[in-house]
Amino acid sequence: MTMSTKSLDSAPQLVIRDLVKRYHFQPVLNQLSLTLTDGDFCILVGANGAGKTTLLRILATLVRPNQGEILLGGRSLTQSPALRREIGYIGHQPMFYNDLTALENLHHYARLYAYPHPAELVRDAVQSVGLTPHQHKPVRTFSRGMQQRLSIARALLHHPHYLFFDEPYTGLDTEAAQILDAQLQYLHQPGRIILLAAHQPGRLLRMASHIAWLQDGKISHHIPAASIPEVPALQAYLQEGA
Amino acid sequence: MKSFLQYLKVIWQIFRKDFQVEWRGKQGVPVMLVFSLLVVFLFNFALQLSPTLQASLTAGLLWVSLAFASTLGLNRSISLERESNALDGLLLVPVDRSAVFFGKALSNFTFTTLVALALLPVLSLFYQQNLFHLPLVLVIVLGVGAYTGLGTLLSALSIQSRTRDVLLPILLYPLALPILIAAVEASRGILAGQPLGDLKSWIFLLLAANILFSAAGLMFFETILEE
Amino acid sequence: MTLHKKPSLLSILDILSILLFTAVLILILFFTPTELTMGPVQKVFYFHVASAWGGMLSFILAAAAGIGYLVTRKVRWDWLSLSSVEVGLVFGLIAILSGMIWAQPIWNTWWVWDPRLTTTAIMEIIYLAYFILRSGLDTPETRARLGAVYVIVSVITVPLTFFSIRLFRTIHPVVIATGGDGGSAFNMTPRMLLAFIASLVVFTLILADLVWHRYRLAQLQNTIEEEVN
Repeated sequence: MTMSTKSLDSAPQLVIRDLVKRYHFQPVLNQLSLTLTDGDFCILVGANGAGKTTLLRILATLVRPNQGEILLGGRSLTQSPALRREIGYIGHQPMFYNDLTALENLHHYARLYAYPHPAELVRDAVQSVGLTPHQHKPVRTFSRGMQQRLSIARALLHHPHYLFFDEPYTGLDTEAAQILDAQLQYLHQPGRIILLAAHQPGRLLRMASHIAWLQDGKISHHIPAASIPEVPALQAYLQEGA
Repeated sequence: MKSFLQYLKVIWQIFRKDFQVEWRGKQGVPVMLVFSLLVVFLFNFALQLSPTLQASLTAGLLWVSLAFASTLGLNRSISLERESNALDGLLLVPVDRSAVFFGKALSNFTFTTLVALALLPVLSLFYQQNLFHLPLVLVIVLGVGAYTGLGTLLSALSIQSRTRDVLLPILLYPLALPILIAAVEASRGILAGQPLGDLKSWIFLLLAANILFSAAGLMFFETILEE
Repeated sequence: MTLHKKPSLLSILDILSILLFTAVLILILFFTPTELTMGPVQKVFYFHVASAWGGMLSFILAAAAGIGYLVTRKVRWDWLSLSSVEVGLVFGLIAILSGMIWAQPIWNTWWVWDPRLTTTAIMEIIYLAYFILRSGLDTPETRARLGAVYVIVSVITVPLTFFSIRLFRTIHPVVIATGGDGGSAFNMTPRMLLAFIASLVVFTLILADLVWHRYRLAQLQNTIEEEVN
């Protein structure tokens, strides 16, 4: 399938320019810039507390930056709430109502995004993460792995173009991790951009197209995954498993 | 127009979700009702209220117990969003975030009004009066509307503090005083047989409060929640 | 480390405040006549109203500074807001205490539920709630942001509070032992009017002076913290 130049111009592009975020007056993100293009699957690495979570939360519009610009497909993120429809976010917490069932929680999100036929959408989403046998159980009864799986279903429910995942593999059992791997492989295609923060990227580097290293509040290196051997510092950092 | 409809749908969905959770757990309205009854009992003995209470005191009793019970409901409503951080999920909606304010305010308003309506037969029974006046329902709607509107706004503030459980009453009660005064005075007048026309200053005050706090919610809710 | 030098304007304001305060004090003690029915204690009125005026003004200043912070997100607006609330708390307290001192010999009661005094008392509680709110928040950015919203929403309620209490009082007048409804009206002679306006002006100056000092304190505190980090 060839892409005409016209569709390339309007293809999703994520431009982060000179982002600054301060806490206690100290900059956690300090003039951070990063550009991702259509079809990228970028792993974000950095030490604990380096600002990966802050960056992803800013991209998900949950945190307001002190300075800087974020453009999604050329449109400013801060100025159009409607753009949030294009974003899928997985944070450290699953974002569910414990007393409601898995199905009810997903229905809630489907309706928040004003999907015309939520029932089908939700049913497919539950199936894609292998939770159909548990769909009528309250989320309170779910294990961490199951909750994370449901979280993936929630994030992808509205077919977003931009995916911001903050350490999604934490707490997943092998089966759930395999499901997430499959999802990511499916999602890694033209028309989508994935930015995934990982503490220990490991085998994810084989799936990803790029890697970005957050250091001192900036992206110090943003290179294709294949080029990691060319940056010994990065390779050492990754091997340390720090 | 389409986006406005979507805005309304989000408000409705948040209300619907709160109703669903309440129906499932029944932790909100019954607790509020029991608490308000306890307050009535407490005041009954603390102030040595006579069985044939004048209409003037019944109105006060109604609103004081409602104000206290409502605070419980407001706290619970926002705490619900905090467990598992479902609030972040609400903030991700592709519409203006004031919709979250109106959605939460609507559910808070509904639950408190239900408690108020349940209190009417109870107080009628305890103090040998008839509290079933339609104008009184209007005052309840306006009073609870303003109180829960302000309360929803302030609960978004208090939830971010370490002292979140006790902070809401401290923030809410000084600011809610005019609402309570107006609601009590208007209720008092209705129970004493006064026509609504005589009470229009109080009604206007309640209307003004509703408008002011809705506007405040519209303007500030997103700022309160966005880090 | 650059510790900002005290601006010369502030030093001038300090001296001006002290001089004018002394002048007004002399004015009130010796220049104004003694009121007929109330006696010398009536003179507390000048400080009472001026302090209440100061308390009200600082509330408005705090809210305006809150708006300033929310629009610009520059922390110095928060310093101004915090300073105004702190100083306003003190002015409000003076207003309430002087009101009580005034009320006692005249109406034989330490407290009257009149709309102005009651609204001032509620304002004090709102100020205290402001500090309780801030003390439970972790980052200075959060304290500034939520403090600003709270003070703006609070300022909106003040007219509502005042009118509701006033309306309440017309329906439920309080009869004090010595007669009258605990109101504080009396006719002012030209001399009294002069002293009254003078005390309002002086208290406004003192307010500006104290807020500025408190603002500098916040500024210096910030400079030291930045240096330490």
